[in-house]
Amino acid sequence: MGLFTTKKTADYTIIIGCGRLGANLANTLSDGGGNVLIMDKDKDAFRKLSPSFGGLAVVGDGTDFDALQDAQIGKASVVVVVTNNDNANVMIAQLAREVFKVKRVIARLYDPEREYIYHEFGIDTICPAVLSAKEIDKILSKTNEAAGTGMAVSACEVEAK
Amino acid sequence: MKKIVLLVGGRSKTKSLAMSLLKRGYQVTAINDTYEDCLKLAEIDKLTVINGDGTKPFVLEDASAGSADIAIALTSKDEDNLVICELCKKRFSVGKTVALVSDPKKTDFFYKMGIDSVVCAISAVTSIIEQQAFVEEMANIVPIGEGRVQIAEVPVYGNAPVVGKKLWEINLPKEVIIGCILRGDTTMIPRGDTRILAGDMLVLISGNGQEIAAIKELTGR
Repeated sequence: MGLFTTKKTADYTIIIGCGRLGANLANTLSDGGGNVLIMDKDKDAFRKLSPSFGGLAVVGDGTDFDALQDAQIGKASVVVVVTNNDNANVMIAQLAREVFKVKRVIARLYDPEREYIYHEFGIDTICPAVLSAKEIDKILSKTNEAAGTGMAVSACEVEAK
Repeated sequence: MKKIVLLVGGRSKTKSLAMSLLKRGYQVTAINDTYEDCLKLAEIDKLTVINGDGTKPFVLEDASAGSADIAIALTSKDEDNLVICELCKKRFSVGKTVALVSDPKKTDFFYKMGIDSVVCAISAVTSIIEQQAFVEEMANIVPIGEGRVQIAEVPVYGNAPVVGKKLWEINLPKEVIIGCILRGDTTMIPRGDTRILAGDMLVLISGNGQEIAAIKELTGR
């Protein structure tokens, strides 16, 4: 089986921004056998990639036309934009979508207020603040429930006594 | 009704633009994220200054972007200018948005994103330098209509081939006309039989980048 497994070559992901999120995602996708290219302005950022990372790491400015072209962005099936600058993310995502016609573009956005600029262009957004808030809310409601039942139990205990 | 103009980012550009707009009777608001720059800008009379990041919707709201007629993004970062204009256009429905870009390759992209007017400082400066370097005689070329039409001021020296000729004797490119002749203190609108004299200043109107050919024809260089 090993010799003849055909790798899906059509699947090509470009990640722009090699921060914690970008690097993590690149490692995961690469471990899963995907073709990954990760781009960052700072070559030191690539230290965050795991030693087993099998994709390409390219030093370049994601807001630059030529850098994106060199990365063959037109062939990418997915572009994930996760630099630490919201406005740069907006621009790169729109470039990918409107100029290079990439089908799926996902962008990270710190400030949820700018989200609707993306929706008009069909760009998916991830907002850490909103996600974290939801998650914290979930944890809180869980602990509240637990505390609530705990209280009820003790109340019962009191009554029983 | 006074037209309201919003200037976002930039220091010296904003300052001179604000002063000239105020002089022409516009109501101007400037947004800048550096406090020191805001202090400098606030020295200008009648200019409303807001300290904040213009790429944030609430800052634009503070500057009442919703009532602005024109928004001009002058920050040094292309991505910021794009976001400012898109927010103004989509969220605050500003009638006209103008963005400065530093990367000439992004001009078309900015237009495609719905920005009404894109100004590229680098290509503007390069084209001016080019013109200055190749045609020394040229005192001044002003592009209008997004650079499709040029108005040029061409001085005629004594050794120029056109001196003493009538306008219809000059073989000018088709898309160029001599719109005006400045002779001493007088201004004249020439006809076909007007003679060009040494020392005249010709005002050319040309389309499609024909001005260089026309100037060569007129000055003989």
